[in-house]
Amino acid sequence: MHMATVLTINGEAKSFDAPPDMPLLWVLRDVLGMTGTKFGCGIAQCGACTVHVDGKAVRSCVLPVGAVANRAITTIEHVGSTPAGAKVQKAWLEAEVIQCGYCQSGQIMAAAALLATTPNPDDSDIDAAMAGNICRCGTYVRIREAIKHAANGKQS
Amino acid sequence: MSGKMRILTSVVVIGVVAAGLGVFIVRGPGPLDFAGGTKVALADYRAGKPTGVPAKLEKASLVERGEYLAKAADCMVCHTKPGEKEYSGGLSFKLPFGTLYSTNITPDRDTGIGNYSDQEFLNAVQHGKRRDGARLYPAMPYTSYTFMTDEDVLAVKAYLFSLPAIRAKAPDNTLSFPFNQRWAMIFWSAVFNPDTRFTPNTSKSPEWNRGAYLAEALAHCGECHTPRNLGFALDNRKKFGGALTAGWRAFNISSDKATGLGNWSDADLISYLSLGHAPGHGSASGPMGEAVDHSFSQFAPEDISSIVAYLRSVPPVPSPDLPATTAPVAPASHKDGVTADARGKMLFAGACASCHGWSGESPVSPMATLTGTWAVNDPAATNVAQIVISGTKRHTPDGALSMPAFGNAYTNDEIAAVANYVTARFGTKGSKLTAKDVAELREQTAE
Repeated sequence: MHMATVLTINGEAKSFDAPPDMPLLWVLRDVLGMTGTKFGCGIAQCGACTVHVDGKAVRSCVLPVGAVANRAITTIEHVGSTPAGAKVQKAWLEAEVIQCGYCQSGQIMAAAALLATTPNPDDSDIDAAMAGNICRCGTYVRIREAIKHAANGKQS
Repeated sequence: MSGKMRILTSVVVIGVVAAGLGVFIVRGPGPLDFAGGTKVALADYRAGKPTGVPAKLEKASLVERGEYLAKAADCMVCHTKPGEKEYSGGLSFKLPFGTLYSTNITPDRDTGIGNYSDQEFLNAVQHGKRRDGARLYPAMPYTSYTFMTDEDVLAVKAYLFSLPAIRAKAPDNTLSFPFNQRWAMIFWSAVFNPDTRFTPNTSKSPEWNRGAYLAEALAHCGECHTPRNLGFALDNRKKFGGALTAGWRAFNISSDKATGLGNWSDADLISYLSLGHAPGHGSASGPMGEAVDHSFSQFAPEDISSIVAYLRSVPPVPSPDLPATTAPVAPASHKDGVTADARGKMLFAGACASCHGWSGESPVSPMATLTGTWAVNDPAATNVAQIVISGTKRHTPDGALSMPAFGNAYTNDEIAAVANYVTARFGTKGSKLTAKDVAELREQTAE
């Protein structure tokens, strides 16, 4: 059954028709054409589809849209306009984190959510927040470096 | 009578009395004896209609009524092997003394129940007697179904006979001696099958009577939630006190305030039964998840309310191994709170934290919140390990939410580590599972 749904995405009200059990990721990519958020595993185990819901990093591939009405959704397209997101993106470019890039929108979303709650994360904080975001190119060392860089505003 | 004869007679009498007393003690009370009050024959009960289908189906066809009752009795789940056709049997029941396989109850004449007459079907469902005269093992809960009316049992038969006949022969049972002696079940049945139809209790409300019929005759709650006695029958002295069944822990559903349902609101119970989730109490998984998906979620709302009214009346039975209160929300930071298993923490960070959060309150959905659930507050961690192994899926009006199965991705060591970490962080007492324990849990649920 399709239902008209309104979601607040990146500060805008977006209206669309989708069944309530459709994963948010499908709505973002296939219905709204916002393809910055990536599909990886589909079972919340790789982190490629990470978005923010009320500021927290969540996996959009397992999140039914019926469960996120009235909650603020932020995606990679807009995270650069949040203070933490802007810092992360800048640090990512400076550290040349990205290799193939497929997982990176998820990595950036997870890192931005981390810095928003933990402005000066240590290694264990980074592990706890980022362990669920997998990078098959193995950019983990540069990810860690860039998060620290974003946190204290200088190259670590 | 000579002196010798007198002594012999006395010995025999004492023996018979002792055996009778032994049987009486082991058997204990029946499932509805706790309620006391006055019972009347169903035909003489005028206050309501505890049996049959809800009002909206009163005028429905026999097959439709049978479908409702078959779902209420949850026949399908046990009589279907995962991936095979519904009702075609072959599901394995792993018991300490071998494996039983459920039978094909589609109307196929060779491998199903196509040749069963009405009386033969009644014999099987109410008395545990197969068409060829052989005895059924009580994995088939005929000691519960025996409370069903003939009319309801035959409605179920009409529904089953309306299904497509499927040719499927279940594997042979692999029970060891003496359990492979089916004839011996005559004695088991004589002792443990109440073999009586439901009799309404005029001291209780019509709603209670409907709930009692649904819970005892159809839904057979006690088959998982009541501990078993020496004879492997239900020990109703500890009715609904919780038990381990098929590798999962069926928690206490007595009215005990601390460890049972005594502190659940009516709304919680209604939500849990009809949706498989109640806020702050977790989500139904494993066998209870199946019971919700295929049975309770199909119940009419008034039938759910009746079951709730009935559950409320079951005397409290405490579970001494569970804490008196469930643990509060864990700290938001991974650094605070219990530091238990370092390996478990690493696994949790990689595979679990993104949905369950570090506090146990899920950022994704209340259905994935760990805080407050018995699973994480059970120091044995049985259900935590099982859910990690097999995953879970809940269907709701707002969509399905699922957790993937990690059984193939992680070793027994890893599953033990993450279960020990999860129970320590989100529960009251960390579990001490070992790889061997996890291997045994896997063994009990492997299909």
